[in-house]
Amino acid sequence: MKVLVVDDEAIVLRSCRMVLEAEGCEVIAAASVDEAMAILEQQIPELLLIDVKMPVHNGMYLMRRLKEKRPGIPIIVMSGYATSETIKEAEDLGAAIFLPKPFTPDELADTIKAVLANTRREA
Amino acid sequence: MKYSTRSKLIASFLGVSFLVGIVSLVAGMRLVNEHLLGEALNRVRQNLNAANEMYVTRVKHVKTCLSITTLGLAFISSVREKNTTDLALRLERMARLAELDFAGLVSEDGRVLCRIGPNALPSSGTHAENPLAKMVLEQRTSVSGTVILPVEFLIEENHELAERARIPLAADPDSSSGARDEISAGLSIAAAVPVFDGPLMLGVLYGGILLNRSETFVDTVRETVFQGEVFNGRSIGTATIFLNDVRIATNVLTPEGKRALGTRVSREVKEHVLDKGKLWADLAFVSRDWYITAYQPIEAISGARVGMIYVGVLEEKYADIRRQILTVYSLITAAIMLVGAGLGYLIARRITSPIQRLIRASQQVREGSLTPDLGQPERGEIGVLQTAFKEMVEAMGRRRAASEARIIHSEKQASVGRLAAGVAHEINNPLTGVLTYTHMLLRRKDIAADVRSDLQVIVEATERVRRIVKGLLDFSRQTKLDPEPTDINRLVAAAISLIENQALVKGVAIKFNPGENLPEVTLDRSQIQSVLINVVINALDATEPGGNIRIFTAASLSGNGVALKGIEITVADTGCGVPPENLNKLFDPFFTTKTVGQGTGLGLSVSLGIVQRHGGHIRVQSEVGKGSRFFIWLPAERKMEHEGTGG
Repeated sequence: MKVLVVDDEAIVLRSCRMVLEAEGCEVIAAASVDEAMAILEQQIPELLLIDVKMPVHNGMYLMRRLKEKRPGIPIIVMSGYATSETIKEAEDLGAAIFLPKPFTPDELADTIKAVLANTRREA
Repeated sequence: MKYSTRSKLIASFLGVSFLVGIVSLVAGMRLVNEHLLGEALNRVRQNLNAANEMYVTRVKHVKTCLSITTLGLAFISSVREKNTTDLALRLERMARLAELDFAGLVSEDGRVLCRIGPNALPSSGTHAENPLAKMVLEQRTSVSGTVILPVEFLIEENHELAERARIPLAADPDSSSGARDEISAGLSIAAAVPVFDGPLMLGVLYGGILLNRSETFVDTVRETVFQGEVFNGRSIGTATIFLNDVRIATNVLTPEGKRALGTRVSREVKEHVLDKGKLWADLAFVSRDWYITAYQPIEAISGARVGMIYVGVLEEKYADIRRQILTVYSLITAAIMLVGAGLGYLIARRITSPIQRLIRASQQVREGSLTPDLGQPERGEIGVLQTAFKEMVEAMGRRRAASEARIIHSEKQASVGRLAAGVAHEINNPLTGVLTYTHMLLRRKDIAADVRSDLQVIVEATERVRRIVKGLLDFSRQTKLDPEPTDINRLVAAAISLIENQALVKGVAIKFNPGENLPEVTLDRSQIQSVLINVVINALDATEPGGNIRIFTAASLSGNGVALKGIEITVADTGCGVPPENLNKLFDPFFTTKTVGQGTGLGLSVSLGIVQRHGGHIRVQSEVGKGSRFFIWLPAERKMEHEGTGG
């Protein structure tokens, strides 16, 4: 399964890659929204992990673009700090779930499994 | 405004005492006037009686003298023998003893045999009619009384008498008989007695006193009836004999100080006394002064009213008594008014001084003082006002303290929030890395047991950091309230059910006494539930096994100055209690008494923030070693703040 992880923090990208690959996923990492957009031009991942706060364009921007171009891909929104307003905005833009940082490998794995199970049931 | 209450009070006291004084003065003076005048009139009437008695006595005296003379045998024989020389001597002696002005003997044929005075032995020939002798010759019995003597008679008797009788009339425009300008007739007290020799009447002895210009009678009245009483150099009592309405003998003085002979009485008195024959007693202006007077008619032997007798008392004596009484009354009134003013001043001061103090106290409050000087507590309404004022200021103080505390708390929350938001962002990313890598390392089977144990330490420490950061974020995250009508008892019961197991494990009993008839409150259920959980968990942490936690709900008014309807949730524990020095810090962010790692010190601070945003407040009572009570008050009517800080 192909998962696109978008985060400006290298440590987060590396952590996610480690956990997801251990779960048997193929991980594509993007350090910015622009990079993610470029990757999305060529590949279609089955799941997206997006950080909210990033320089240049933030995660909300990316989600709005995805809604136009590639709707239907399940999205997990991550953030180190979020208010109920940002969570609501993310949900409105199509986020399947909000995952607060920091998280343990088990928490990440469980979240992904839950989202995928949910998506399959709906599909 | 400052003096108006006082001056009003003094003025009313003055007014009342002035009115009382004036009324009693007027009433008193009226009584005194009536009483005094009545008394004076009575006295004057009595005086007049006395004077009249003296007059009558005089008449009797004259008659007695004459009668005794006619009874002497030597006298009778002289009359019989017409021994005029002897008779003249006898008449002179009698007249001197009886103080007679005229006396004489008339023969049975009507001729005068002899008389006293210069014309002792009249030459035969014409003679004036002797009214006295005529009456006796006709009636053959003696007569006595008042007689008008015509001027002809007087001239013949003694021309000095005629001269004395002549009194010029004073000019008086009020006079009814202005034609006459002098009096010539005489008014006399006289008697005539027949001289008998057996049954034979030999003649008539007559004699009398001329009252015209006579001072003897009136002055005797003054000296005996009024006992010569003098007031301000003047005699109190006066007496007068009138011929008709003209004063012919008097000690009433003219303005020039002479006897007021020839002056007339007022027409009113004349009509009343002379014409109608009645007694007159009243206040009257006589000559130059006011007198309390009494008049009575004099009747002649013939029965005609020929004159009047008068006595009068100087009114000035009574006026002086009235003046003295008036002065005393006025002084008493003035004294009462003075006392009234003083009393008014004192009472006004008693009333206004606490009011003044209240005014000063309210000025102090306006200038910011919450402990104004109210002075001694007063009784009555002023005391009630003082208490109310004191309570009002205290309530203001509590409200001010409460709002200051809220401002401080929300400022702390805001600054901590900004800090936390910034820090959390930066910390949570590396924290994700630490957690991921340590957990991934722990999954490996090829690591030594001691390394695994060390890794476990890293995991636990990281989890702690994670909790701290989460607490910070919860504290700073002032999410919007999502209020809905709530049954508070149900909410409390739900919160307790979440903690019950924990309490059971520790051995602490939780008892809930739900209040009845509570008003429905509108609140954010999840946030208030987290507050309840937080407070109950704190209580649980503070309570040793075997202790208990009691929770009550009750309808309650806000104790914060304004009385608002609301509900109060009380959480009481039997735990260790909070030392007084820590009570104020209890709601400060990061204040904790728990051991390191047990709490972040944010729970109560967050709880207070939530309750305050609902418009409520939290109070704490605590006693070290006995336990603490937390009172969470929430308003029944929705009046909440919306101050969510987004981002």
